[in-house]
Amino acid sequence: MLRSLKGLVCHPLRLDHGYALHTAAKDCLSSVVSQDVQTPAERPRGVFYTSENDPAKHTEHHEGRHYSIPLEEVKAVFPHGLPNRFQQQIKTFNEACLMVRKPALELFTYLKSSNFAHPAVRYVIYGEKGTGKTMTLCHVVHYCARQGWLVLHIPDAHLWVKNCKELMKSSYKEERLDQPLQASVWLKNFKASNERFLKEIKTQKTYVWGKQERTEEGRPLGEVVEQGLARTRNASDAVGVVLKELKQQCQHGSFRLLVAVDGVNALWGRTTLKREDKSPVSPEELTLVYNLRKLMMNNWNGGAIVTTLSQTGSLFKPRSAYLPQELLGKEGFDALDPFVPIPVPNYSPREFESCYRYYLDCKWLQHEKARTEDGKEELRFLSGSNPWQLERLAAPL
Amino acid sequence: TLRLIYTTTAVQRKNVGASGPEKYTEEFIKKQIEEFNLGKRHLANMMGEDPETFTQEDIDRAIAYLFPSGLFDRQARPMMKHPTAIFPEQRKIQWGEDGRPFHFLFYTGKQSYYSLMHETYEKLLNAQKYQDQLTAQDLPPQKEKRNLAGSRWLTKIELEEMLLEKLSDDDYSRFIQLLQKLMTLPCGDIEEKYIQKFTKEVPVQLEKAVTEPLKYDERGVAFSTGEGTRKTSRATAVVYDNGTGKITVNGIDVLHYFPVLQDREQLLFPFQFLDRVGKHDMVCTVSGGGRSSQAGAIRLASAKALRSFVTEKEVEFMRQAGLLTVDPRVRERKKPGQEGARRKFTWKKR
Repeated sequence: MLRSLKGLVCHPLRLDHGYALHTAAKDCLSSVVSQDVQTPAERPRGVFYTSENDPAKHTEHHEGRHYSIPLEEVKAVFPHGLPNRFQQQIKTFNEACLMVRKPALELFTYLKSSNFAHPAVRYVIYGEKGTGKTMTLCHVVHYCARQGWLVLHIPDAHLWVKNCKELMKSSYKEERLDQPLQASVWLKNFKASNERFLKEIKTQKTYVWGKQERTEEGRPLGEVVEQGLARTRNASDAVGVVLKELKQQCQHGSFRLLVAVDGVNALWGRTTLKREDKSPVSPEELTLVYNLRKLMMNNWNGGAIVTTLSQTGSLFKPRSAYLPQELLGKEGFDALDPFVPIPVPNYSPREFESCYRYYLDCKWLQHEKARTEDGKEELRFLSGSNPWQLERLAAPL
Repeated sequence: TLRLIYTTTAVQRKNVGASGPEKYTEEFIKKQIEEFNLGKRHLANMMGEDPETFTQEDIDRAIAYLFPSGLFDRQARPMMKHPTAIFPEQRKIQWGEDGRPFHFLFYTGKQSYYSLMHETYEKLLNAQKYQDQLTAQDLPPQKEKRNLAGSRWLTKIELEEMLLEKLSDDDYSRFIQLLQKLMTLPCGDIEEKYIQKFTKEVPVQLEKAVTEPLKYDERGVAFSTGEGTRKTSRATAVVYDNGTGKITVNGIDVLHYFPVLQDREQLLFPFQFLDRVGKHDMVCTVSGGGRSSQAGAIRLASAKALRSFVTEKEVEFMRQAGLLTVDPRVRERKKPGQEGARRKFTWKKR
C-alpha cells in the first residue's frame, strides 16, 4: 500500500509514460496489455513491474517483469546470498527488484512437480559470464523460503578454496584441514536465515566437541550451531554435523531441504591453498568441501539441489569456459552426472527493455542522451544484451 | 686569398642550367651518347635480346639483374641511362674564340629573357595590327573561346629551366602579364601556337571514389563488403541489411572478442553516426595487430561497407567525420643514439 502511494506521489507522470510511449513494449506485450488496462490501480509504476511478491505465483505472464522484495525479507532470506553489486544497488535504490526470467520459471515448474520420494534431483544453472545465474539462484531461494523449505545456501563455494588465511589440522580426522573463519561466517548466516528450523530439528546422535563440551542426542540443532560459533576451532566440524543431520532427517519428510550452492565447480577443481610445507592442498582435504560433496550426492530424498557454475571465481580455468563439462572437470562431471542443465542466456529484447525502463524509473540513468531511443540502442549495442555489462555501463551514467 | 673569377650571374646560379660552361663540352656529351648506344647493343647481346628493340625499361631490368644491390637509395645503385638524363642540360659558351658574344643581347645579362620579351611584344603588335585591319574592314572581331580551365602558365622555375637563366620574380610577373594581355586580344592561330609553348595542362582532378552498388545474397538480403587497415591489422567486413545489430568477429561474438568497452565503442561509431545502430548485422574477419588496431581496422571496413547503403550527402558527412580515411600513424622506427623513437638517453652533465 505504502509503495503504491509512493508511486502515485513521486511519479505522477509515470502513468502516461508507461502507457503512451512504449510502442515497442506494447508490441511485445500485446497479449497482456488488455489485462493491464483493466487493472491500472495495481501497477502504478509502469508496464514492467509486478506487484506479485510471491515467487510461487510467478508465471509466464510475468516474464520480463521486475518484482520487489521487502527489505526485511531480504535480510532474513539472503543474509549472504546476493552478489555484491546487487547489494550495493539495493542500498542505493532502497528496494530490491528482481527480474522474472525464463530459467527461473522453468525451475519452479520442476520443483513444483518433483516427487519427493525419489532421490533429490540436481539442477545445474550454467551460462556465460554475467548472464544472471546467481540472481536466478536467489530467485529460487526466495521461492523456496516462501514455500517454507529449509534453505541451505552457500553463497560462493570458491570462497572456501582460496584466500584462506588460517588452515588448521582437523581435530576429527587427521589428514583433513579446517577453515575456522569461513565456517563460522557461514554458520552465522545460516542461523540468521533459518532460525525457525534450528529450533525444531533435533540431533540424532551425541557429538563430542572436546573434553568438556558435548551435545546430547535430541538437542535442537541450534545448539550445534551455537557451539560452532562459540568455539571456532570446531566450526568446520559443526558445519559437517549440520549437513549430515539435515541430510538424514530430510528423508523422513518433516521438512523440505533445498541445497543451493553457487560456484559448485569449486568443489572439484584445484585450490590455491598450501600447507605450511608449501605442498598444495586438494579439495577433498578440506573438511567443508568434503562434507559438502557428500551432500551433493543424490542418495537422499525429500528435497532438491540447485547449483550454479561460475567462471568468475574459478581457479585455473580459461575465461571463455562456461559449459558444465569445461568448468566442472571430469571428476565433477562424473560426481554430478545425472543432472538437469539449465542454460541462462543474455537478455532477450523484451527483457532488455524491461531492465532499461527499470533503470530509468529509478532515475539511475542521469545522462540526457540515455533517455532517448538512440541512447537505448547504444546501450544495447555496447552491452550486447549482457546483464552484467549493462549494469556496469549504466552505473556511471 | 680570394681569387677573382670572371663570372656572370647566369653562371653563378646553383641550379642546373648554368653550372659551369666548361664542365661538359658538346663533344664530350656526343661521345657519351655514342658510348651509351654501343653499350646498349652489347647489353642486348648479352641478355640474348634484339638490339634494335631494346628499351630503357629492358636496360634497367638487365642492370638490376647483372648488378644486384641491396642499397636502399635507388640513386646509389648502378644505373645505365641516356647521357641527357644523367648530365644535366646546361649552357654552352656564349662567345666565340675571339671573345665576341653570339647573341646581341648578351651584355644585358639575361639574354634569353629579354629576347623572349621582345618576341612576345612583337606578337602582340602583330595581333593589334590584325585587329585594326579587321575593324577597318568592318568585320566583327573574332572572339574564340580558349580552354582556360585545363591549362595554367609555366611556373617561374619551369621558365628558368626553359631559358637556362636565372630570373627574378619581377621579370617573371612582367612576362606573364604580357602573355595575358596577348591572350585577351582576339588572336589568330599563330599566336595560339606560340602561347601554347608557355602553358601546361592541369591534370584533371581526382575522381570521386565510386561507391559500389549493393549486392544481394541467396536469401535476398542486401549486403556489402568493405576493407580496412590500421597499423598492422587488416580487416574485411560484410554488412547485412535487416539485422538486429549482432556482430561476429572471426566467428566469435563481439562481446567475447572485444571485452574492453573502448573497442566496442569504436565499432559502434559508424552505425551511430548514421543512426542505424540496430539495423545491420555484421560478419568480419580480422588479422594482425593488437586489440585497439583491430578495432580501428574493423571500424574503417564497416564504414566503407556502409557507403553503399547510404546517400551521397551522408557519405560526404562520413568523409568529413574521418570515418573513411586510413589512419596513417604507424610505429616510428627507433634511431641509433637514442633509446627509442624520440626518447634520448639520460643526459649526464659529466
